[in-house]
Amino acid sequence: MLIKLDTKGLACPMPIIKLKKCLAQNAQDVQIMMEFTDAGGLKDVPAFCQQQGLLYELVQQSPVMEFKIWRQTL
Amino acid sequence: MDKIIETREMPSQFSLIQTKGTLDWAYPAFILASTAAVMDKEVEMFFTFYGLKTILKNTQGLKVTPLGNPGMPVKSPVGPEWLKKVDWNQSLPGLVWTLPGATLLATWGFKKQMLMQGQVPIEELRGLCLELGVKMTACQMTVDLMGYEQDEFIEGVDFAGAASYFAKTPENQSLLI
Repeated sequence: MLIKLDTKGLACPMPIIKLKKCLAQNAQDVQIMMEFTDAGGLKDVPAFCQQQGLLYELVQQSPVMEFKIWRQTL
Repeated sequence: MDKIIETREMPSQFSLIQTKGTLDWAYPAFILASTAAVMDKEVEMFFTFYGLKTILKNTQGLKVTPLGNPGMPVKSPVGPEWLKKVDWNQSLPGLVWTLPGATLLATWGFKKQMLMQGQVPIEELRGLCLELGVKMTACQMTVDLMGYEQDEFIEGVDFAGAASYFAKTPENQSLLI
């Protein structure tokens, strides 16, 4: 399942909090397309994903930054 | 060697001691605490002295003033672009901030700037911290000293002394705000 997470206009730490909630509320195999405008997110989202054991991919950097995030499956 | 292994087995913790009771010092504490909680750290916040003000139900007393606060940029959140760039804390004499209404104005401007930046109101941010499992402890000694009642504090706050805080927090790191 692919879902969109819009965190545009929100500043640190709200995008990460929303991402965490989104992960908690959705099934194991969810893929999240996370949109954000907080420039710090370019480093923070990968840092969060690495720490949480999530996989991620930077989909686009402009006009809005977007990461695709999903859980590692064994 | 034993010591290193022991340290590695410790749960990931973050602890913070909040001693400041102004709005500009409340934000960094709750931002750091919520971020650490989201990253699965066990977070302990200890509120003492003026820091108690940041966990009162009534947030009317949370203000910000450029008076004696030279690090604080004071910029207008409204008006033309050139005006928004002026740092009034650098260009006006400090005496200005003693005038009636100056603190009110600075607090209004600060709140507006924070919201425009994409921040959430402080009440929401600290609520999120609790929701994320951040443990908050109010220093009982200073609660009594400042003449507060326990029911003036937000739900979820514990009351204890510094020893309780240190018993629950990391061996070798604390952050004092």
